[in-house]
Amino acid sequence: MEYKSQKVAYPYFVIALFLFLLQVLFGLWLAINYFFTLPQGLVNVFPFATARAIHTNLLVLWMLLGFMGGTYFLLPDETKREIYSPGLAYFQLVLLVVTGVVALVGFVFGWTQGRPLLEIPRPLDFAVVIGALIFLFNVGMTMLKGKNWTVIQGTLLAGLIVLALLYLFGIPFYHNLSVDWYYWWWVIHLWVEGAWEMITAAIIAWILLKITGVPREVVEKWLYVELGLFLFTGIAGIGHHYYWLGAPKYWLYVGGIFSGLEPVPIILMLIDTFKHVKHRQLEIKNPLVWTYAVGCAVFHLLGAGVFGFVHTLPMINYYTHGSQVTAAHGHMAFFGAYALLNLTVFYYAIPKLKGIEFFKESLGRVGFWIMVIAMTGMGLAFGVAGVLQTYLERVMGLGYMTAQGEMRFWFKIVFSFGLIFLSGVIITIYDLLTLKPSVKREG
Amino acid sequence: MSKKAAFWIFISGTLVSLIILLALTFDFHQKVKALTHAENLSPQVLAGKWAWEKYNCNDCHTILGFGGYYGPDMTRAYWRIGESGIRYAVEKPEQAFANSFRKMPKKNLSPEEIDNLVAFLKWTSQIDTHDWPPQDRKFKLSSEAKRLVAGAGISVGAALFKDKGCFNCHALQGVGGTTGSSLDKIGSKLDKEAIARYIEDPSKVNPQAKMLKFDLSSEEIEALAKFLENQK
Repeated sequence: MEYKSQKVAYPYFVIALFLFLLQVLFGLWLAINYFFTLPQGLVNVFPFATARAIHTNLLVLWMLLGFMGGTYFLLPDETKREIYSPGLAYFQLVLLVVTGVVALVGFVFGWTQGRPLLEIPRPLDFAVVIGALIFLFNVGMTMLKGKNWTVIQGTLLAGLIVLALLYLFGIPFYHNLSVDWYYWWWVIHLWVEGAWEMITAAIIAWILLKITGVPREVVEKWLYVELGLFLFTGIAGIGHHYYWLGAPKYWLYVGGIFSGLEPVPIILMLIDTFKHVKHRQLEIKNPLVWTYAVGCAVFHLLGAGVFGFVHTLPMINYYTHGSQVTAAHGHMAFFGAYALLNLTVFYYAIPKLKGIEFFKESLGRVGFWIMVIAMTGMGLAFGVAGVLQTYLERVMGLGYMTAQGEMRFWFKIVFSFGLIFLSGVIITIYDLLTLKPSVKREG
Repeated sequence: MSKKAAFWIFISGTLVSLIILLALTFDFHQKVKALTHAENLSPQVLAGKWAWEKYNCNDCHTILGFGGYYGPDMTRAYWRIGESGIRYAVEKPEQAFANSFRKMPKKNLSPEEIDNLVAFLKWTSQIDTHDWPPQDRKFKLSSEAKRLVAGAGISVGAALFKDKGCFNCHALQGVGGTTGSSLDKIGSKLDKEAIARYIEDPSKVNPQAKMLKFDLSSEEIEALAKFLENQK
């Protein structure tokens, strides 16, 4: 660690990991709801809806804290100067975490905006906006003062600004439900297939640059091409959410064509990652970091690319829309594209923050494989449940609950894989927080 | 490829897609009013949307296919279970789902909130969704049902029973919903005429009936009654 202010990233990482653990615990509870009959009294006070709001908001919160921590960690290295104000960085963390905790506790007492993923009540949205503005100010000032512009910095800053701007579309009360969902997707879709992709592509480009020693020129060129394709397919690809919400029919074509191309940049990103690793000019110090980086690229393709593609075309989506097929895709894609990215950053940054050059990685490797295998199993089990639902409810026309009855078994499988996943998460978190130096490089 | 070329790929790819989105968004605003019958967005419908959000309904139920997958989609709930069905589930979930393995929370909505919610769901039921969701399509037999009738030789009544969503509430041989009664032995209790009369307008036969009056032609009612008469 060359710059003192990089250490502000550490509390971001620790809190993000803790929220990740909580997210998984709530996820397990949700799975129980699907196969086990809970008593009416419990359902009245702690319904599925509340637990789901907590599960998904924890996801968003830990992802964003991970991105922010990652940004604060790479910023001094990229700009060649200390962070503009470490104090603001800590203040912003406290503000966001307190807001998050108030929101999560509020959900339990029924304080909610009542729109999926955007449940945080409107008064708290202002706290979120203030936190985001402080973050942008701090990052922007560091870059401005650094006067050492790079493509990675530019991409990162642009991604963060777009992320903050898009959040604003989620705040108003929309009169028309169709318009409401139209702009809901500006937050959700343009986040995960726009702003978040920009941020994570910049972060992963920086990490590849650091661990492989491939010339910056090459890394940044690929970054441009990938992002160009990500945004070309992703922005108009929002149409795959507009098929059935009361929008004109041409969205079936726009959404189908653009989102059908969405796997292309992901494939490119995978090839590019392999290429960089192959043409590396530095000795890889901690192979686990690039296991994570490559794992992220592969799982990104599987979860977002493959599982997304299978139900993105309108003639399939007509039957799968709003079924557990979406849940299969959602879990695999968020884990592959974003959870693994954050963990890649953590495994790269935390040893540096602790002054460990080579770390013992046997436990971390176990954690990685448990999580990856369990998430694959979970995604497949969700997928089977989704196909059953699609066939029984939508094609055969049996009632909703009849189909759900046939799906119960697969939720037990989801739950079982969830338990295995939890063990992987616990191992990984324990490992990250107690990293030990190793004398020799482990292979 | 030079870095400059890569930069232009980035800029042009992004701008082309962004312009498409913005242009179509403009067009969406021109057309959405007609597609959603925005003229029917009365203050009561808006109040119903507030209630829908206040009680976080959307984190269990999807609407327009978005939201939680724990309960059935609500876009066409007004068609599927009607006003009385919505009221029954919201007011007395502990009764409506007494035999169900999945429960709905009792949220103690005020009578006014329930009225508003019904108005909101009535409004959503007429949004032009290009005939989505497939399970709640109103006016046609599903292709699956047509195949059943033509291929396996089952009666039109049986196909209608499945296709009109009777299974949502009623069970046959253990398959189906638990809100309504099981119809395994209905033929030994009622004859065809009585069944037909009941389907035609349940509340006329029994003022306490929970079942709705469905939009069925007399031929459809006849076929359904014939099918049910044989369940003995």
